[in-house]
Amino acid sequence: MNSLSRLRTPHPHLGAYYGIVTSAFVSLIVLLAMFEQLGWREVVIAQFMIVTPLLLYIVIAAGSRTRNAEDFFTSGRRVPAVFNGFVLAATAVGGVGFLAYTGVVFFLGFDALAIGLGLTCGILAGAVLFVPYLRKAGAYTLPGFLGQRFRSRRLRIAASLMQLPPLALLLAAEIKIAALIASLFLPLTFSLAVFLVAALVAAIGVLGGMRALTWAGSAQFIVGAVGLAVPLVTVSILLTSLPTPQFTYGELIPSLQNAEITAGLSPVQPEEVATDLPPMAPQKVLKPFFQSFGIFGELDFVMLFLCLMLGIAALPSLLVRSGVTRSVVEQRRSTAWALLLVAVFALTAPAMAVFVKLLVFQDIGLAPAAAAALPDWLTGLSGRQLLQASDANGDGGIGAAEILFTRDGIALTLPTLAGLPYVMTVLMAASGMAVALAAAGSHLFTLAGSMAEDVYRVLDPGASKQPRLAAAWGAIAASALSAALFLIIADIDPLRAALTALAFVAATFFPVLLLAIWWQRCSEWGAFAAMSTGFSVIFLGTIFGPHAGIYPAVIGLIGVMAGLLAGIAASMYGIKPPAAATAYWQEMRNPEGEAIYDRAKARAAASAANASASGQ
Amino acid sequence: MTIEIPAPDHAGRDRHQLRTLILAGATLLAVLFAVVLAVINAASLNQYWFLHFPLGFYLLAQGVLLFVVVSGFWYVRTQERIDRTRSESEEPE
Repeated sequence: MNSLSRLRTPHPHLGAYYGIVTSAFVSLIVLLAMFEQLGWREVVIAQFMIVTPLLLYIVIAAGSRTRNAEDFFTSGRRVPAVFNGFVLAATAVGGVGFLAYTGVVFFLGFDALAIGLGLTCGILAGAVLFVPYLRKAGAYTLPGFLGQRFRSRRLRIAASLMQLPPLALLLAAEIKIAALIASLFLPLTFSLAVFLVAALVAAIGVLGGMRALTWAGSAQFIVGAVGLAVPLVTVSILLTSLPTPQFTYGELIPSLQNAEITAGLSPVQPEEVATDLPPMAPQKVLKPFFQSFGIFGELDFVMLFLCLMLGIAALPSLLVRSGVTRSVVEQRRSTAWALLLVAVFALTAPAMAVFVKLLVFQDIGLAPAAAAALPDWLTGLSGRQLLQASDANGDGGIGAAEILFTRDGIALTLPTLAGLPYVMTVLMAASGMAVALAAAGSHLFTLAGSMAEDVYRVLDPGASKQPRLAAAWGAIAASALSAALFLIIADIDPLRAALTALAFVAATFFPVLLLAIWWQRCSEWGAFAAMSTGFSVIFLGTIFGPHAGIYPAVIGLIGVMAGLLAGIAASMYGIKPPAAATAYWQEMRNPEGEAIYDRAKARAAASAANASASGQ
Repeated sequence: MTIEIPAPDHAGRDRHQLRTLILAGATLLAVLFAVVLAVINAASLNQYWFLHFPLGFYLLAQGVLLFVVVSGFWYVRTQERIDRTRSESEEPE
């Protein structure tokens, strides 16, 4: 593993292996669709559709197991750009994006587009501002990069501790989404599902670290993409006669608008309703889909977009993957692939929401169902706790205003609403779970890997290879267990948790990364001031802000501004950075050559060998 | 492990950094400008229709996203060209 990373070649049969994975998954779908027609029970079909991919992920992780530190932390620096793009996209979207964002688009329509835009532009901002330079630095973790850039152990430990709250929130949110899906479709209680999901994610991380996450994550991305595409394209063909839902749902707009008017949905103004995202609990639709700025005003829209963009750009779980490819060029290309894939998802979510809304409102809005003759989908979806319907006004029928929708279940309702076989519903569930597991794995590994590398290894620099990995294994297991216990005790809303976490990341890490990478004059104290100011603002704002009616996105942006000002002031008026830090900055900006960390490691190994030879 | 970096002294270094800065700034500013422009004009643009969508909605749901993706791939391609220029100018004499 001492060869130059630029000259390493990826496994020549990777494409064939993942082609086999894709074919096997498609075959599973076809087989289960046939068995459903032959009379298999729904619970058996759900078990096969959800559990079989989980076994596949474990098998891939077991096949990727490693005890080599470079493989464990950077996947051997030879991951092809496209595969890294797969995992980056799955981590950025996650189960929260897949299910909760689709639900938010369903409820808010136009106003929710800020989230999809923020996700996509965040990937671009990270690719332009940070990723190539982190690849050249080659540090295993984001705090590790800051420690090396400023030659500061204190800064490294502080950064590691400050990334704990947002990563823990994101991890808990993703585990909760995966556990909700498992408890809906498998005979498991929510608590048991939480522990099983946490155990699965931890097992993948322990087996092979970043290497297992990369290869299992690629399979998870494929399952997620196929599982989303098959039902959605089928519904699109049924409704628009074309297999491109992203570009053809516009044809349905007149029908949807008519159905909304009949259902009594009238335009709202931000001051009439709470300017907030829809909660997790079931609720009714508040506004017409295409009404612009009904819940959020234009300024709220832009602030939410900016906060998400900066949070995604500086997200440690994405940036930690900056070291896994062969070179700076490959890394840049991988983020371009991730950008394309995230954008495709952001294009797809509104189509899904429009299909669901049209199917519901056409059936119910245009002809309110008598309680004795409810549509099949209404009873089916009520039974699966994906919506609630009751005759609230006592008129003997169910109107659209009397249906309460579960935000995170909107995507799962689509196949049933369109009258597709049950296998399509569980396929969508397996898809959401795959993406949630990929994101949870990345957040868990980033958090635990940092604990091992930036805290344990800094405090015990003489640790040999094995205790170093043992520390990472222990940290992964402990973090997964803590997240599971937290979820049992606390009833968190995954969407709010994820947005708060991204506001934390934006305020804490965006200013320090921007200054560290783009400003040669930035000093250790400047970096510390930027990070700690941003963290303090968002921490205090999260506690006291909601009481004053200030939301995480606004606090996050205030934190970014405060962090940038503090970092610039402390660098300008503090001690100048040493010459070695300036030389490091210059070298980091040079896209050619090996990673700085790898070269330093090779030099240290050569010195040790020379010292040992001269000692003999 | 201490990381010692010899101070580089390359002729094209500063030019490379300036061009990189301009490219990064131009890419991000173009995207931010597109988003803000689309948001400000969304309500009025919704009177017009494009590909069966209200234009303001179309821009934020699809148009800007497609622009971001094209900008991303253009950035990667242009930055690679800038990097190649630097490495060619730093070929050993």
